[in-house]
Amino acid sequence: MDKLPLAGIRVADFTWIGAGSYTTKLLADFGAEVIKVESSTRMDSLRSTAPFKDGVAGINRSGYFADRNTSKRSIQLNLKHPQAPEIARALIAKSDVVANNFTPGTMEKFGLGYREVAAFKRDIIYISMSMQGSSGPDAKYVGFGLTIAALTGLQYLCGQPDRPPAGTGTNYPDHVPNPCHGAFALLAALYHKRKTGEGQYIDLAQTEPTIALLGPAVVDYTANGRVAERCGNDQGWAVPRGVYPCRGEDRWIAISVYDDEQWSAVGSVLGPFTINPARVWRDHAVRREHKAELDRVIGERTREWDARELMRALQACGVPAGVVQNARDLIEEDAQLAHRKHWIALEHKEMGTTLYNAPPIRLSRTPATLDRSAPLLGEHTEEVCVDLLGMSRSQFDRLHASGVFE
Amino acid sequence: MSDGAALSGLKVIDLSQRYAHYCGKLFADMGADVVLVEKPRTGCALRAEAPFLGDRHDPDYSIPFFYFNTSKRGVTLDLEQSAGRDLFKTLARQFDLVIEDGVPGALDALGLGYEALARIRPEIVMTSVTPFGQTGPCANYAADDLTLLAMGGFLHMMGYPDAAPTQAYGNQAYAMGNMFGAVGSMLAVLGAQMSGSGQHVDISIQECVTMALENAAQFYDLEKRVRTRFAGSQRQAGTGIFECADGSVYIFAGGMAAIRFWGNLVQWMKDERVPSCEVLDKPEWSDMAFLNSDRAKEMFAEMFSQVARTKTKEELYREAQRRRVPLCAVSTMADVARNRQLAYRGFFARVAHAPSGQEVIMPGAPFQLSATPSRIARPAPQLGQHNREIYSALGVSEQKLAALTQAGVV
Repeated sequence: MDKLPLAGIRVADFTWIGAGSYTTKLLADFGAEVIKVESSTRMDSLRSTAPFKDGVAGINRSGYFADRNTSKRSIQLNLKHPQAPEIARALIAKSDVVANNFTPGTMEKFGLGYREVAAFKRDIIYISMSMQGSSGPDAKYVGFGLTIAALTGLQYLCGQPDRPPAGTGTNYPDHVPNPCHGAFALLAALYHKRKTGEGQYIDLAQTEPTIALLGPAVVDYTANGRVAERCGNDQGWAVPRGVYPCRGEDRWIAISVYDDEQWSAVGSVLGPFTINPARVWRDHAVRREHKAELDRVIGERTREWDARELMRALQACGVPAGVVQNARDLIEEDAQLAHRKHWIALEHKEMGTTLYNAPPIRLSRTPATLDRSAPLLGEHTEEVCVDLLGMSRSQFDRLHASGVFE
Repeated sequence: MSDGAALSGLKVIDLSQRYAHYCGKLFADMGADVVLVEKPRTGCALRAEAPFLGDRHDPDYSIPFFYFNTSKRGVTLDLEQSAGRDLFKTLARQFDLVIEDGVPGALDALGLGYEALARIRPEIVMTSVTPFGQTGPCANYAADDLTLLAMGGFLHMMGYPDAAPTQAYGNQAYAMGNMFGAVGSMLAVLGAQMSGSGQHVDISIQECVTMALENAAQFYDLEKRVRTRFAGSQRQAGTGIFECADGSVYIFAGGMAAIRFWGNLVQWMKDERVPSCEVLDKPEWSDMAFLNSDRAKEMFAEMFSQVARTKTKEELYREAQRRRVPLCAVSTMADVARNRQLAYRGFFARVAHAPSGQEVIMPGAPFQLSATPSRIARPAPQLGQHNREIYSALGVSEQKLAALTQAGVV
C-alpha cells in the first residue's frame, strides 16, 4: 500500500479545545505522527464538554473531544513543573512541526516560543493560532469561536433583517475556517521545507480566515460604501429561495429556483401557482416583487409533504432542493453520506464503539486512515518518553514521582 | 532556490465555474502559478455574480470574481471543441494540479478526466469539488449553497427556534468545499512530491458541511439528543448576544470552556453596581444543568443587560477584554474595515482594478508565514488576459493562435 502523504512527519501538538485540535487531527488522519501534550492541571476543556458516553461525564468520555483528536497519541506534561520544558524540548527536537493555539506569550513563558525553539531546531515549522495574532494592540484578547464569529462580521450577517443577528449556531470558525487554513498553511510550509530545507513561523489569527471568506462583503463596503445586511435566506438571483415547512415537527425543505424552467417544475410538483387567476407568477421579476406572498403560498403547499419525498420529486425535475437534515438524519437516513462512508465506528478504551466523522477529503490512492480513536488523557506518556525520547525506565519513574507528568 | 513563496514552481490549472475559485486562490496567493481556464466570450459563471464594483453589471466588475481569483493568470479555452481539448492536454502535461467543479463525469466525457490526464502525466493531482461528490445516490442532485447547508445538517442549527432556519451568510457551504479542497489538494501534492504519483481528490460539499456541526452528531450518537437552533436566546446562561447602545455584543462567559473567566465577569458586574449580582458567586453558576435552565438565563440577562444597554459595542468590547471577559462586538463590515488589530497586522491589501482604474481594498493573507508570506501577487485576470503569454510559452505560434481565436477555441 502507498504511504500516506504525511508519513514520517512528527507533530508536537500543544493545541487544545476546538480549532487547534482539529488542525492537527487533519494531519494525523493523513499519516502524521501527532503527539498531543496535555495536563490534568490545565485540562483541555473539550474533555469536560458534552456529549458523554451514556450521558455520564468523565475526562475520557466526551464525544466532542474524541471526534477532534483521532489518530493522535497523548502525553501528560505539566508545563509549569520545573522539569517539564526540558522534556517538551526533547519532544520538539524530534518533531517536524510544533502547533499551539494559546494566548500569545504562553509558550514563551515556558521557553517554548518560536525563537527559543528555532535556536535548537532550526528547520522547525511552528504554528501559533491565537485569537487575533501574536502581536498588536488586541493580541491578548480572549475569546471562543462564537465571539470570533461576532468580531469577523459573520454573526451580524446571519439571520432575519428585522430580528437580532442569529449567527451560525455553532463555533463555526473553530470547526472549518481556522483548522483548514491552519492545515493548508502548515502543508504549504512543509512543501517549501522539502524543496529548500527551510522551516518557518506561521502566525494565524483566528479572525482572519473567516473574514477572508467574507471578502466580497468587505469589498462591497470598501469600494461601494455599502454595509452588507442580514437577508434571511434570500440571495442574488434565485427566487423563490427559502426554507419551507414540511409534515412533522420541525421538518423543513430548502428550495432554490434559478430560472423559469425550474419554476415551472416546482409548479408541476406542488401544483400551479395561480393565486388569483389573472396573476400567474411565471415571470422572474414578478416573483421577486411578490416574494413574501410567494413564500407564504409555497409554505402552505410544502406543509402537506414529507420533506424527503418532496426533495425527490423536485430533484426528479432538476430543481435544487434539500431536506433540512438534523444530526439524526445525517447518521441514520442519509444514503449519500453512507455511500461515502462518512461515519466511522472506532473502538475506544473507555467509550467502547462510537461514531466519528471521517475527514471529508477522499484521496483515491492514499485515503485517510483513522488508525486509532481518541487517546485517553496521558495514555501514551510512558511509551513516548521511553521509546521516542529514549528515557530509561528508572529515569521515567523518577520524573513521574516528581509530578512532572500530571 | 526560493523566490520567497512557499508554492513557487507548483503549476495549477483552475477550471472552476462557480464553486471552487477560493481553493485556487489559496494556492495562487501562496505562490503557485495558477491558470484560470474560462469559456471564450462568457467566461466563468462567477463573473455574473453580484455585487459589482460601482454596481456596473460587467463580467470584469464582479466583486466575487475579482476577489476569489487574485494572483491567477487567465486564459480562455473551449473544451467542447477538439482543438480546445488538444490544447488543454498540452497544457496539462506541464501542470501538477487541476482544480475543477464540473458535474461529475463531465470531464471524463470530454476525455479529460483524472484517468486520462494521469496517463499523460502520472504525477498530476486532480481535485473535484462538487455538491455531493463523484458517485452515490445524490451525486447528480441539483444544488446551491442553501440546499447544501440543509443537506449537510448545518442549516438545522442556524436561526431562531420559532421560525424557519436561516442560512450562514456568504456561501459558506461552497467555502467549506473550497477549504477542504485546498487541504486535500495540498495533501495529494505532497504525496506526489514524495512518490511521483498523483491521485484524484474527491470533495463533497455536503460532507464538508457536516464538519461545521460541532458536537451535534456525537450528541445523537452518545446521548440520543438532537441539537437544534437557539438564536435570540442564550446558549447557556452567560453565553449569547446582548443588545447595547449602538448594536449588539456577543459574550461567551458561561459553560465549561469559559469557566475560568467567570470570576472576572462577576467582578465587572459588582464594579458596575448591578443590584444583587453577588448571587453570581454561588457555586450553581458552574453547574451546566443550572446554566441551561431558563431561570439562570433570565437572571443573567436581567443583570447583564443593565451593563450592556448603556454602553456602545466598542466600549463593552474594550472594557470586557481589559478585564479578561470573552466578549466581542458584533461587527458590521464597516467595523471590520476599521478594526485596529487587523490594521496593525496589515491584513488588508490594495489591489489595482485595471478596467475602472481604482484601487480596491480587500482581505489579504489569512495567515502570516515568516519565510514565505502569502500575498496577492496580481489582480484577478480579465477574460483571456494571458492567452498570448501562456499559449506562446506552450509553443503555439502567433498564426495558430489567430486561427484558434477565429474558430472560437480561445
